[in-house]
Amino acid sequence: MPSSAVRSSGPASRAADRFRISCRGVSSGYLGHRVLQDVSFTIDQPSIYVVLGPNGAGKTTLFRTLAGILRPYEGEVTIGDEDIDRQRSRDHLHYLSHVDGIPDGLQVREALEFYARVERAEASDVDRVLDLLEIQELSDRYLSQLSAGQRKRVSIARVFLREREIYLLDEPTANLDPKLAREIRTIILGLSRDKIVLYSSHNLFEAREIGRHVLVLRGGRLVLFDRIENLRSAHFVIGVRVLEPTDALSEFTLQGDYYLRELSGPQEVPALLRDLETRGVRIREVREMENPLEDLFE
Amino acid sequence: MFYTVVLSVANGNAFLTAFPLLLPILGTMGGMGAMLVFTNDRTKGVFEYLIAYGIPPRRIFLNVIETALVMLSVVDVATLSVGIGLRIALGRGIPFQFVLDIVVYSVPMSYGTAAFTSAAGMFWTSLSSPRQGMNSPLGLLPTLGIAPGVLVLVIALAVGPALAVYVAVSAVVVVVIAAVALLALGSRLLPRERLLSPA
Repeated sequence: MPSSAVRSSGPASRAADRFRISCRGVSSGYLGHRVLQDVSFTIDQPSIYVVLGPNGAGKTTLFRTLAGILRPYEGEVTIGDEDIDRQRSRDHLHYLSHVDGIPDGLQVREALEFYARVERAEASDVDRVLDLLEIQELSDRYLSQLSAGQRKRVSIARVFLREREIYLLDEPTANLDPKLAREIRTIILGLSRDKIVLYSSHNLFEAREIGRHVLVLRGGRLVLFDRIENLRSAHFVIGVRVLEPTDALSEFTLQGDYYLRELSGPQEVPALLRDLETRGVRIREVREMENPLEDLFE
Repeated sequence: MFYTVVLSVANGNAFLTAFPLLLPILGTMGGMGAMLVFTNDRTKGVFEYLIAYGIPPRRIFLNVIETALVMLSVVDVATLSVGIGLRIALGRGIPFQFVLDIVVYSVPMSYGTAAFTSAAGMFWTSLSSPRQGMNSPLGLLPTLGIAPGVLVLVIALAVGPALAVYVAVSAVVVVVIAAVALLALGSRLLPRERLLSPA
């Protein structure tokens, strides 16, 4: 869906209007080289908005422009009705960079205290985020001594020092182990009940799990902004894992542990499963093998 | 001290030759300390974070220079204390010429060198990808910082003790003007994109 001007769906309340983030005809980039081209959208509903795109599509540039780090060559970014360059606008917004954004020479607690001062948070908030991200035992360690995953946790802890209305999270789960990535996603899901969260990721399954809306960038242009549930795969393929192989599965293609079958849509799944059961197939697991988000990259 | 060196070398007395250029050289080292912060941040993103929270890039640029000058002040005070203490301990006293050298040449040259090398180093860093060796500003800075002091000394030795003080004062003025010019042009030569890590 080519999209020069799109907005998130749903009734916009006056309260939500206060936290609206808008991008109108924005072109921006680095030292005169345009990366984003004529990007327009408005988000005014609390939810998680996943920003997807191949490498070089402009995801990080979009986040930097929305955060006011890069100034648009054309167009404008506003929070509510105010330009992002106004300090009052920035106070509604948290930005998590794709790099750590934490200085090596400090201990974890010192770094978080520094960020608490920048964000005018309370000293007690430092202990709260140390507990939230389970990094209390790292508080006296120097950041240079931490692993990439531990550094990422400290970096994420910074975002929770103070509550804001809009969160720009550029690859927040990169370098994290699966357990911690899941915990971070849970925290972010909790945020999305009353906050606007823009979230970029290269992990399409994660994007599908956490996202409610998707923005797709390609070549610096916004080519899609829609609810993820509205996306449909070009090919709907299900995989069936069974307790014992039988001849009833001869029409399926075996791939690893899964017997694959392409259907015209999810509405055909119940009938197929009933048919397999009547033919004596003992089903252990059924899953959708194709992720509709994958099609966005083709 | 500078004048003393010129005199001592001209008179064949090399005893005091080691001390005079110390403060300007330390100025280079002060600049390198601040440059480490700047260079390191190109992969860390702390500046990017600060800009996102409303701190202007120009203020970040000036803060790096200020950091270099504060670090230099600590080193200058310590070095001068040791130098003066040694002179007293060796019974050489504190002659007027010694004080004049410090006030006219060594201290202003050290601050000018630190500000100039920090600013020039940041511009140089920002033009290239983070890397090691002489292409790194940290590889460039010792040459950039020490060369003016040595050059001035060579010229002063060439023109002789009578004109050495004029050479020294002229060099200080040139370095300070260069440093101020770079600071004034800071925001133009170092746009905000230069402070960001690679996308």
